[in-house]
Amino acid sequence: MGRVIRPQWVTVLVGVLVGLGWTVAKVAIPLLVRGAIDHGIEPNDSKALYTWAIAIAIIGLFQGTFTGLRRWWAFKVARRSEQTLRDQLFAHLQRLHFAYHDQASTGNLMSRANTDLNQIQAFLVMIPLTMSNAVTVLLVTAILLTIDPVLTLLALGSLPLLNVFAKRFGVRLHPAVMGIQQESAELAAVVEESVSGVRVVKGFGAEGVQQHRFQSEADDVYDESMRATRVRAVFLPLLDMLPNIGLILVLAYGGHQVINGSLTLGSLVAFNVYVVMLIWPLRMLGMILAQAQRAVASSQRVDEVLAAEPQVIDPPNATSLPEPTSERPAGALQFDAVTFGYPAGPDRPVLDGLELTVQAGESVALVGPTGCGKTTVARLIPRFYDVDGGCITLDGVDVRDVPLRELRRAVGIVFEDTFLFNDSVAANIAFAEPDAAPEQIERAARLAGAHDFILNLPDGYGTEIGERGFSLSGGQRQRIAIARAILSDPRVLILDDATSSVDPTKEHEIRDALTEVMKGRTTIVIAHRPATIALADRVVLLDEGRIVDQGTHSQLLVQSERYRDVLAAAMAEHPEDELESEEVSV
Amino acid sequence: MFFMSAVDEDSKLDRKKAAHVLRRSLAMLRPYRRQVLAATALVTLWTFTVLAGPFLVSYAIDNGIVHKDGGTLDRAVAAYVVVAIVAYFVYRAQIVLIGLIGEGFLRDLRLRVFDHLQRLSMPFYDREKAGVIVSRMTSDVDALAELVQQGLLMFVSNTLLLVFSVVVLGLVSWELLLTCMLMLPLVIVSSIKFQRDSNRAYLLVRDRIGHTLSSLQEGLSGVRVIQAYAREDVQVRRFLRTSGDLYDAHMDSVRISAWYLPIIELSSALTTAAAVGVGGWLVHRGSVTIGTVTFFLLTLSNLFEPVQQLSQLFNTVQSAGAGLNKLYELLDTDPDVPEKKGAVELPAEGAISVDRVSFRYADSGPWVLRDVSLGIAVGERLALVGPTGAGKSTLAKLIARMYDPNEGMVRFGDVDVRDATLKSLRRRICVVPQEGFLFNGTIRDNVRIAKAGATDAEVDDALRAVGVYERFSLLPQGLDTAVRERGSRLSAGEKQLVSLARAALADPAVLVLDEATSSLDPGTELLVEEALERLMRGRTVVVIAHRLSTAERADRIGVVDAGGLIELGTHQELLDRDGRYAALYATWAGRMEVAS
Repeated sequence: MGRVIRPQWVTVLVGVLVGLGWTVAKVAIPLLVRGAIDHGIEPNDSKALYTWAIAIAIIGLFQGTFTGLRRWWAFKVARRSEQTLRDQLFAHLQRLHFAYHDQASTGNLMSRANTDLNQIQAFLVMIPLTMSNAVTVLLVTAILLTIDPVLTLLALGSLPLLNVFAKRFGVRLHPAVMGIQQESAELAAVVEESVSGVRVVKGFGAEGVQQHRFQSEADDVYDESMRATRVRAVFLPLLDMLPNIGLILVLAYGGHQVINGSLTLGSLVAFNVYVVMLIWPLRMLGMILAQAQRAVASSQRVDEVLAAEPQVIDPPNATSLPEPTSERPAGALQFDAVTFGYPAGPDRPVLDGLELTVQAGESVALVGPTGCGKTTVARLIPRFYDVDGGCITLDGVDVRDVPLRELRRAVGIVFEDTFLFNDSVAANIAFAEPDAAPEQIERAARLAGAHDFILNLPDGYGTEIGERGFSLSGGQRQRIAIARAILSDPRVLILDDATSSVDPTKEHEIRDALTEVMKGRTTIVIAHRPATIALADRVVLLDEGRIVDQGTHSQLLVQSERYRDVLAAAMAEHPEDELESEEVSV
Repeated sequence: MFFMSAVDEDSKLDRKKAAHVLRRSLAMLRPYRRQVLAATALVTLWTFTVLAGPFLVSYAIDNGIVHKDGGTLDRAVAAYVVVAIVAYFVYRAQIVLIGLIGEGFLRDLRLRVFDHLQRLSMPFYDREKAGVIVSRMTSDVDALAELVQQGLLMFVSNTLLLVFSVVVLGLVSWELLLTCMLMLPLVIVSSIKFQRDSNRAYLLVRDRIGHTLSSLQEGLSGVRVIQAYAREDVQVRRFLRTSGDLYDAHMDSVRISAWYLPIIELSSALTTAAAVGVGGWLVHRGSVTIGTVTFFLLTLSNLFEPVQQLSQLFNTVQSAGAGLNKLYELLDTDPDVPEKKGAVELPAEGAISVDRVSFRYADSGPWVLRDVSLGIAVGERLALVGPTGAGKSTLAKLIARMYDPNEGMVRFGDVDVRDATLKSLRRRICVVPQEGFLFNGTIRDNVRIAKAGATDAEVDDALRAVGVYERFSLLPQGLDTAVRERGSRLSAGEKQLVSLARAALADPAVLVLDEATSSLDPGTELLVEEALERLMRGRTVVVIAHRLSTAERADRIGVVDAGGLIELGTHQELLDRDGRYAALYATWAGRMEVAS
């Protein structure tokens, strides 16, 4: 937290000073009222009375001005800190390696960037006000002590309890409020599943069962809410009554003092006003303690993320990839005794001494049963992960020696689970080159077999897609992702099951396009459809992290029984390739 | 007060709707009328106790202190003690009582809405987005809950406090009251302006928070693509912009309160000055006592704070009203597939006949089925094949009366399904959807969905009947394994098996099956097929087939295309006819050859 606040010390200082100005003005007013009563009203001195009244009005003007400024500066610091932290968090997460994101859940990271930052913000915003409150308490106590020490003790004696009870109230209420949130979430889950599972509910006439479950969740929410209500019922009246004790004692003891003549009537009234004035500052001092505890816990959770070091970083002495020449075209890949296992994966390495050479411009299909390591091979090339042993070279340079940015621009990858951004179709295709000309975008879309359906979208290439926009079918999304990779014009193109959701009848269109794209470009294809596999110059059959056979598709079909088995198993895993062949995409 | 006056924007309720919402809510509160009366009495009493304190102080000053009468002073103190104790208990009781009423109301409302949702038929669920339906039960009810838990008491007590303060102060000294109310118009006007501005600012903040969160979410879920294209810097810059916009929106709303608060505090100080100045002048003239001036000074906050709090509560009240309105609208939606009055029980068994049925989802939409007729004998197994969107699923759903046809009729035995009770209909005809949807709970709970109150033994028998009892009882927690928790996720095939066991438990005469299109793991594939086979034995079956192997095993096959039944016959008959089915079969067989 301190790291974020330090650069804003001027703002913090202004906030605190303005808050003190406000405090002084606020505390002064009852004193002026006392003066008006004792020197104006009681002695029947009109001139003095009006002077005092005008003084009250002037101080009121200060109080009003300062209260606005105080609020402004307090929020400025708190919101700016929240924003800075959120930006840092985002930038840091963007640079953290794949393995980090593999083990972190998005929901968890989101809650740190949202709930935790809110907690910190809520604490920071209270700081200037808390200081003002603390000063208010001190000033008032000092003023009252000078008037009458005994009466001060009677008036304020019960008020520290306000602080104690306010804190306990916060501590007791918090779990109840959390409980309500928890139960409400469970209730929402029943609603959510009843709605998304409505086909099952209707299909089996299971309305009664769901009704029953909902009823018990609704009862739980009710019970938790009543628990919170009971906590409120215990503390709120108590907090309300404590100041009354002070007021009663002031009246009882102070009243007799006035009758005795040892206290002025104005002082008695001032005591009353001051007791009322201290109610909120004391209650808030109690609350901020509870809030501070939550803020500390939150800032620890945020720091945890910020402390994680990116593990895949730029090399200290980077070597650029060689410029391609006519005798040495770009895109030669070499896997040399590569060993790799996922940090959170099983002990057995996924790749175990893999040797693989891909000539510049060659296309290679990786085939093998699930878990054989073919996707891993693809992900090691752009350094999504670093190898545990051996090395991978691209055009003769170890990929770990190439500047990260250059390497990743040199390798284009299309993932199986296509991720598109909430943006226009054109912007999604031009992701790698935001300044790409429309013709370039269209060319890439044509090559990916996406141009025709894009033209049929409501706004063509300008159509917004994603969460708030138009939703595309899986096959359409994949074709846009392929266009995105084509547009970046990489040395090495990796298609990781990139056509699996494309309608089999449409795939032949893409197949022609892919042939065009792959011409003269190093391409790694991971696919299960024989027709796609057949596009590659060479097929490499992987099993348990090693190459077990290789050759052209037709060669392997003839000579390798294992290859035939793998293809048959892959076909059985994808029955959607059978009957839906007439599917017409929207 | 100004409850109606500020309601003028489109999104908010107009006067008529607000009155309607209020009337209905009062009707729903009828079971609580005793508690409501008691609560009203308590709140009123409590308001009096708040005013009583300052009043007793002024009484003590005028009649005790000024006259140097210690006895009167002590009596006033004693009265104050009583008031404080009464206030404590009354406040406590009213919190509990209002909690009981409010939370009870919320629970009734939730149950009623959910019950209604369960009664609504498939067309409703096709029309409305799932997210919107869920938000009725979450954000709309939550807006109300916020009001109930924090706002309602404040709203009522502040209103009462304001009214009573004005009345009491007026009775004590109307001249001084008028003086103190000089600033009130400014306070009210700026409160109304503040309420509107802050409402608008808050909407903007909420919108920008949504943007920030979705951009955060996008950056996290898309981090692999972003890194793959080395676009981290660009994404970070974009995020900074979104995040900066949120900051601006936040500061906008702060700016609004930063001018409002000074007006309130200034007004309060000016009113104090006026009360002292004018009050002192009145004391000098002898028309009020010094105690009265003190009473005013101590009660001034009762004039300003309620106005301030009410203006802030106003937004809560409005969003709660809007939420209630949406909920009442939902309750007013009629089921599309209602049960007729005097509906009859379906016979235990019966042939199905589809008689010249036409159907479309929306009144002006395209016809999905046009003039389809079909008979299915008792115990027959019919497979429907055809391209996606041809209408085969719709035909199956019409048979189970998930929808009603626009023309023609569907009969079970001799009964039009529209004349049957929904309960008997769902018992005779079960639809097993293609995805094995799982609910929160154990495997047993998930099977039991099909028959409320089925014993464990019945559930186990159903699992045995489809031959999967062994498989699931081998799980670490056996049949009590919670299926949606982390780490115990069932595979797609296993979900299917649960779904089939449900059907076995329901034990219907007619089974409508939507075959899975998604890939199954090879291990469960065989089990699913066996389970299906057992389940179909001895029942009338309509299966929407996605694999020709399934179609091949059916008694008859219907090919649906473009809203019509274009071929109907046995596998061999259709192959011999050399039409659409024969063509599909040929492509499929061809593809198998490429693969092996």
